[in-house]
Amino acid sequence: MLYQLGLILRGLPWTILITAVSLLIGCILGYPIMLGRNARSLPVRLVSIAFISLIRAVPPLVWLFIIFFGVGTGAFSMSPLTAALIGLGLIAATNMAEIYRGGLISIHHGQWEAAQALNLGGAHTFRDVIAPQMFRVALPSSATYAIGLMKDTAIASTIGVPELAYQGARLTQETFQGLKVFGMVGLIYILLSLPIAWLSRRADLYLRAKVAR
Amino acid sequence: MPQQLRVVGQHVGKEAPLALTNKPYVKLEQITKSYGAHTVLRDVNLSVHSGGVLAIIGPSGSGKSTLLRCINYIEPPNKGIVTVGDVTIEGETPVSRRDLRALRSKLGMVFQSFNLFPHLTVLRNITLAQERVLGRTSAEAELIAMQLLTRVGLADKAAQYPSRCSGGQQQRIAIARALALDPKVMLFDEPTSALDPELGLEVLSVMRELATSGMTMIVVTHEMSFAENVSDHVAIMADGCILEYGPSREVIRNPQSARARQFLRAVNER
Ligand SMILES: Nc1ncnc2c1ncn2[C@@H]1O[C@H](COP(=O)(O)OP(=O)(O)OP(=O)(O)O)[C@@H](O)[C@H]1O
Ligand SMILES: [Mg+2]
Repeated sequence: MLYQLGLILRGLPWTILITAVSLLIGCILGYPIMLGRNARSLPVRLVSIAFISLIRAVPPLVWLFIIFFGVGTGAFSMSPLTAALIGLGLIAATNMAEIYRGGLISIHHGQWEAAQALNLGGAHTFRDVIAPQMFRVALPSSATYAIGLMKDTAIASTIGVPELAYQGARLTQETFQGLKVFGMVGLIYILLSLPIAWLSRRADLYLRAKVAR
Repeated sequence: MPQQLRVVGQHVGKEAPLALTNKPYVKLEQITKSYGAHTVLRDVNLSVHSGGVLAIIGPSGSGKSTLLRCINYIEPPNKGIVTVGDVTIEGETPVSRRDLRALRSKLGMVFQSFNLFPHLTVLRNITLAQERVLGRTSAEAELIAMQLLTRVGLADKAAQYPSRCSGGQQQRIAIARALALDPKVMLFDEPTSALDPELGLEVLSVMRELATSGMTMIVVTHEMSFAENVSDHVAIMADGCILEYGPSREVIRNPQSARARQFLRAVNER
């Protein structure tokens, strides 16, 4: 049992790595995508909406196949990890863009008006007034999404990234003890989600206490 | 550092001679504004001299806020000419960013709902635009912010977040924030309407002090005592038009039109 757990845990760093990196890609890329989605210029807005819709319309698993078996076998070969990071990163980016947008919409229009009256100008208004409030509002849903994303990294096993689900599948093939093995895998996912939820709650409480309206 | 010698909030500068001529400092000509088919302002003309305090009163929905927001182009009018000091903007031609900036740099605005930045400390609320817009160093900006906070009686709140301040305090902070950019004219949109009477008084006393110091002010208000005693002129609006305009006492005590009399009677009965 301990031996089996040890084998499964070899997948843990991979799961954490994919989750962290694709979330990071999402948090960073989500920002310009959200800006494009809200841009004043209609073409920019349309391209952004089309991009978001396209990414979201295809199941994540299929995106990984397209990237790994499709793009990855062409001119430039790609490791399973790279393919997973690109695929999940893009998916995270479109989801984060929508989460940011939700935060943006929730900001009282008086904030823009005050900034306008103070002559702050578009860039400063966004950077100093709107964006900090937007990120703050987006924090709880981002954390919920981070947990969802962490669970979704299991699909990376299908293209051969040796993360938790992959280790579970391999061990099951050897031992035929699926329930026990995947029970342990499931438990590890639960344990992983706890610190994320805890951190986000702490951050949320801290910010709420500081700036509660 | 010349900033330290400046009397905060008082407007002295190259435009001072204007006050000596008979030219109004703020002039609105034929301002018209509609939302779709709904005309909110029709051919409104108004002017305020340097150092003057104009109160705008009138029933809800008469277009008072819209008029005020047309002055600093937060709400661009469809037609008409806005002149503030040496800046003139015509409603029908496209407005350059430079003109907008020049216009707004002369105008400070205070909102009914305060609109402080909730994620910034009180001090930062007041220094932010000074640094970003006027290019002051943070030391200069903080010095000016502290002087203004002292002026509105809130120096001890500098490090707090706005949410920790009462409504009356927040509104005084909002006044300080606007004053920090050395506006020539202050626009107030029902600054005390969201406050209970006691908190309203502390805001009104700051406004009264501001008026006494010579600030040019345009104040949309329901406070009749402010309109009568602090402002020198009053305009009564109804249905997007100026019903009556004149020296405060005359307009309030001796309104000419039936509509104005009806409105003032309703206000007095409250
Ligand atoms: N953004 C907008 N879109 C459509 N209609 C608007 C908008 N802003 C104001 N209005 C309408 O314009 C009219 C005048 O509004 P305004 O806010 O200027 O009135 P007000 O005199 O300030 O009233 P109050 O005393 O209630 O503040 C109202 O009928 C209002 O419904
Ligand atoms: Mg109003």
